Amino acid sequence: MAAVRNGITLTGLCKEYRLGKTTVRALRNIDLEIKSGSFTCVAGPSGSGKTTLLNMIGLIDAPTSGTVHVAGEDIQGLPEKLRTRYRSRTLGFIFQSFNLLPVLDVFENVHLPLILHRELSPSAKRERVLEIVEAVGLGEHIRHKPFELSGGQRQRVAIARALVTHPLIVLADEPTANLDSETGAEVLALMEGINRDRGTTFIFSSHDPRVMERAARVIRLHDGGIEAA
Amino acid sequence: MERLSLCLRNLGRHAWRTRIILLIALLGAFLTFTFENLVEDISRKQSDMFGRAFSGHFLVVEKDIETKNSFGFYFYKPEQMLNPEEVSAVRMFLAGLPEVSGTQERIVFTGLYYGKKDAEHGFRGVAMDMKDFNRNFTDMYYATGSPLGGGEQGAAAPSWYEYSRDKNLDIGASYVFLLPNREGEFVDRSILAKGGIDYRSMPKEAIGLSSIFFDLAGFRAMVGYEEPLASEVVGFLADARTSAHVLPRIQSWLDAHEPRLKVVSWREYAPIFAEIVLGFDVAMKTVETILLAICVLLVVKLTTFSLIERYSEIGTMRALGFSRSDITLQFTLEGFLAIAAGAVAGFLLAAGAIGVLHATGIQNSTTFWSYMIGNGFRPSFHSGKIIVVVGIFLAVAVLAPLFPAIRGGRLSILRTLEKR
Repeated sequence: MAAVRNGITLTGLCKEYRLGKTTVRALRNIDLEIKSGSFTCVAGPSGSGKTTLLNMIGLIDAPTSGTVHVAGEDIQGLPEKLRTRYRSRTLGFIFQSFNLLPVLDVFENVHLPLILHRELSPSAKRERVLEIVEAVGLGEHIRHKPFELSGGQRQRVAIARALVTHPLIVLADEPTANLDSETGAEVLALMEGINRDRGTTFIFSSHDPRVMERAARVIRLHDGGIEAA
Repeated sequence: MERLSLCLRNLGRHAWRTRIILLIALLGAFLTFTFENLVEDISRKQSDMFGRAFSGHFLVVEKDIETKNSFGFYFYKPEQMLNPEEVSAVRMFLAGLPEVSGTQERIVFTGLYYGKKDAEHGFRGVAMDMKDFNRNFTDMYYATGSPLGGGEQGAAAPSWYEYSRDKNLDIGASYVFLLPNREGEFVDRSILAKGGIDYRSMPKEAIGLSSIFFDLAGFRAMVGYEEPLASEVVGFLADARTSAHVLPRIQSWLDAHEPRLKVVSWREYAPIFAEIVLGFDVAMKTVETILLAICVLLVVKLTTFSLIERYSEIGTMRALGFSRSDITLQFTLEGFLAIAAGAVAGFLLAAGAIGVLHATGIQNSTTFWSYMIGNGFRPSFHSGKIIVVVGIFLAVAVLAPLFPAIRGGRLSILRTLEKR
């Protein structure tokens, strides 16, 4: 499959794990294109390979075979330094368990990835953080620590942290799984709005049909293979 | 600044762990700083005290004279005396060495005197320039009586052992002495025991030197020296511990010149004193090393704990774009800050303690401490030691957390994110 410009192209992607004497095939020969600016849900039951797929695009895991091209570049073939740079400049991560640093308040958590952006002045970083925190509706909680926030608020902080670097792609692994349905819907609406307003590519995983309904495109995985895309 | 702020937050979060590292570093820095500066003082005082009290830090004598292990009681023949030109050449050379703080020429001899009830006593005689023989120059002083004047004849200053312990000589009384002249023949002279010489810093029970001191010019006149010969040139070092490299330089100069002279360290006749200082230093260094090792092990252990506890945080930071070296730096910086803060507090406390001791001094009367450090000991700061101790703690602060921090940086993102 030829790599698409400004999009993500997965070609022949396989991932196998060894568990004792057993080989687990987490991904089986995935061929996939995801357009830039899309709002895509990777769906499937637990163990279908959703997280593994996101980890491949996010350079958190390496494939057994196959390639991942982002904007025409084979990112899995990049040296360590450029992989790190790719994660800090191109990607934003949203985790199921929020993964906020407990010692930092909302402002500092959102500010964390900007430590690596030395080209920005402290005032520019501050402006960015304040803007994105307002955008996710946490302006009044900016000095609160994670333990002082609700689950939905924590996920909003995680979204703000993922977006503060102005990434091209945001990867969200089951972003609503730890939230009640109402809060989950609010978080999804927020992601949708950002996707629409900023053109940021969102790829998120879920097995919740209500979440899938909100996606512009749903890629269904089953036993590591694409069932429907 | 952003990283520093993050480190400080993390240190505050793991407060009990930070406090343990701080306390260990504080204790280690306090004891190391104090020990090093105290040992430096004790070492200097010891080497100075013993070097000066006996026969200087080193002697230049005729090459054939056997001095080893004789505790300064060596014998020379009249022809082994140094003539004035030789003495002058040696003293001029020594004056040019920055480590040498002074020189003296002396005549050391063995004599006899008839004490109370006409009992015959042998003694070690030392004829030296009594003008220099004062409290500023040496740890010896006149216990009673009055000091010998320059060029004074017919008077002697017996050591404490002679005039007080055995009571063979009374201060103010005259006795018959047999003294060697230029030809090695003994001449009898009636001599006044004018002032007793004590060893201020030494336990009198331990040091029983039966020496009797004479003024050099007076002695020469008394026994009829026509030219000012000397049996030895005594040298003093600003810091006796420099002898290891100064003495070979002196010896090589002596080897290149006539007559055949040799330089002898005081350590050769008093190795036990050097060993006491060395033993004390080794004991202190052992304690310091153990403390430093505990400090390093604790920091490694606690940083590893912290690492395991913060697996998920490491994974998150790596996913956000922090590199391996960023993570290593983060954990190293946290360990460094905790150790450095503790060490700075330890240094300040130690500086305060030494400052107080310097101002007030340590008064002691017990034999051992009197023997080791003397009475009225006032420790002070030594820049060389301060640099060494600060350097050691900087190295510990960087290296101790580095190993676990490197491990943290090498962890797989996937595995760290999977840990909860």
